[in-house]
Amino acid sequence: MSQPISPMTSRQRVLAALRREPVDRTPVCNPTSVATVELMDLADAFFPEANRIPEKMANLAETSYTELGFDTIMPVFSIIQESSALGCKIQWEQKDNWPTVKMREPIWRDVEDIRIPPDLLTHPDTACVTEAIRILRRRHGDEVAIIGKTMGPWSLAYHGFGVEPFLLMALDDPGKTMQVLERLKEVTIAYGLAQIEAGADALTLPDHATGDLVSADYYRRFLKELHAEFAARLPVPIILHICGRTVDRMPYIAETGMAAFHFDSKNRPDESMAAVCGHCALVGNINNPETLFARDPEQVEAEVLANLEAGIHLVGPECAIPLQTSIENLRAIPRAVRAWHSAGGGARCHHHDHSHNNG
Amino acid sequence: MTDFSLISNEALRGEIEEFVTRPAEIERNLRVFSRAHPRMQAIALAVIEGEHHLCDRLTREALEAGHVAIEVMDDGLIAGMGVVGIKFRENFIFVPEVLACARAMKSGMAHIEPILSASGVPPAGKVVMGTVKGDLHDIGKNLCIMMLRGAGFEVVDLGVDTAPDAFIDAVEESGARLVGMSALLTTTVPNMGRTIEAFIDAGLRDDVQIMVGGAPVTQEFADDMGADGYGKDALACVAEAKRLLGINA
Repeated sequence: MSQPISPMTSRQRVLAALRREPVDRTPVCNPTSVATVELMDLADAFFPEANRIPEKMANLAETSYTELGFDTIMPVFSIIQESSALGCKIQWEQKDNWPTVKMREPIWRDVEDIRIPPDLLTHPDTACVTEAIRILRRRHGDEVAIIGKTMGPWSLAYHGFGVEPFLLMALDDPGKTMQVLERLKEVTIAYGLAQIEAGADALTLPDHATGDLVSADYYRRFLKELHAEFAARLPVPIILHICGRTVDRMPYIAETGMAAFHFDSKNRPDESMAAVCGHCALVGNINNPETLFARDPEQVEAEVLANLEAGIHLVGPECAIPLQTSIENLRAIPRAVRAWHSAGGGARCHHHDHSHNNG
Repeated sequence: MTDFSLISNEALRGEIEEFVTRPAEIERNLRVFSRAHPRMQAIALAVIEGEHHLCDRLTREALEAGHVAIEVMDDGLIAGMGVVGIKFRENFIFVPEVLACARAMKSGMAHIEPILSASGVPPAGKVVMGTVKGDLHDIGKNLCIMMLRGAGFEVVDLGVDTAPDAFIDAVEESGARLVGMSALLTTTVPNMGRTIEAFIDAGLRDDVQIMVGGAPVTQEFADDMGADGYGKDALACVAEAKRLLGINA
């Protein structure tokens, strides 16, 4: 029988869940972007400025806590900040679209082309995030978990080489590919440490070795050891994020020491729990395009319940929320979590977690 | 009873036996490869194995030996790429391997295309393809193009971030009767609908078939925006292209 858990702050709840320890209720978390057009209006912080000006970035990010009732704040709304500092060309777009790296204009052709610039951490687009984290920490103290984001080397290689050239390199020349990843991992480490120093409680680490592009064997051969190194060298809980179908590589991910894996709705919650076998927490996996964006709160609540019943440790959207998602649908997530726990679901959840910890 | 021994190339036969499981696809591959010359079977295998230097050499040698270009393309390169598409759909291979196979196909087509062009042989069909305005992602669109070209289509590739007017201009310039649009972002899916509206405004909607695809796109979204076809993956894109243009599989 589980002992009652004292009420926790959002920060305590998130960090406990990332350690797979008992929580007073399941935290609601999005380790990727929560920005929406409606939230931009509320915060008076719009794209593209909210990706480039620390104050606006912080204002928009904190709406996940102040307006939606999530337990986390995540100030990075895109995947381009360090790629911009590395020299990639960026299409910044407007209020209604995310900024994107112009991958059809690659900046590298070979390992030797990769130069990590001395201003990696002081470049305006990387420093924007660290400064936003400092602002958020000052404003919110220890109430809420602040999550940073540092891109993994596989994703950075897509940006620098272009997706197709890099994937062909991985097939044609695995040795060179490893050299690329080894060189780029220092970007991941340096930017992660800078955000921890600025006050991040945890880091999202996107590294898109997705089943939509490569086999699980690619993950095992190229990334498993590197990800274990990240988990060891970055002294906060790391949440690995990979979109798409990933259940075939979750057993490898679970062996890296990553605190959690943020998983996509292409993977069922129950099969994902079985795949990680209690070795890491899972975050997710409410469908974005078909549910959060296109349906109503009842359907959102149904997906929340499916996650809770499966024992998912932190519930939230599967990836960056579509910018046109309604606030009403997003607020349905914490509401459904609270309702489930009020109805006694929490006892089942604690028991579930406890059995995993002992397993 | 399926008789795989009709395929004389042992390695190719192994590929079909191991990776092609749907009865209609087994039948089609047996029909094509059992009558294909051993040289064509070897070319198909080079495509399937992503061996571009080998495919380049075998294609050149086949033409020098007197095989006609259309035979090399249909029974060798296209037939091989058909197996690649099946292996990709069934997750036996992934994008890097498909890229290598497409590279092999391209190395062979480099010898074939000038001959077909000079002799006026028409392509299976002509398609205008592009990623819609505001979206810079192209891997899905490019996979579709590889499979379309692998099936004998001529493709006008508009690249990424394609404005509605660019689709319209390309249709008018190329005479294509089929348009394919791709999007990866939820924010850019509405631009597919806007492009369809632009075709209506230009008075061209009845002249073209429009198919859509991409990670956030569903059949429901496709129907809502008024598209004629939807493909959930690259092989489905080829099937839709054939259906919309009335080409027999």
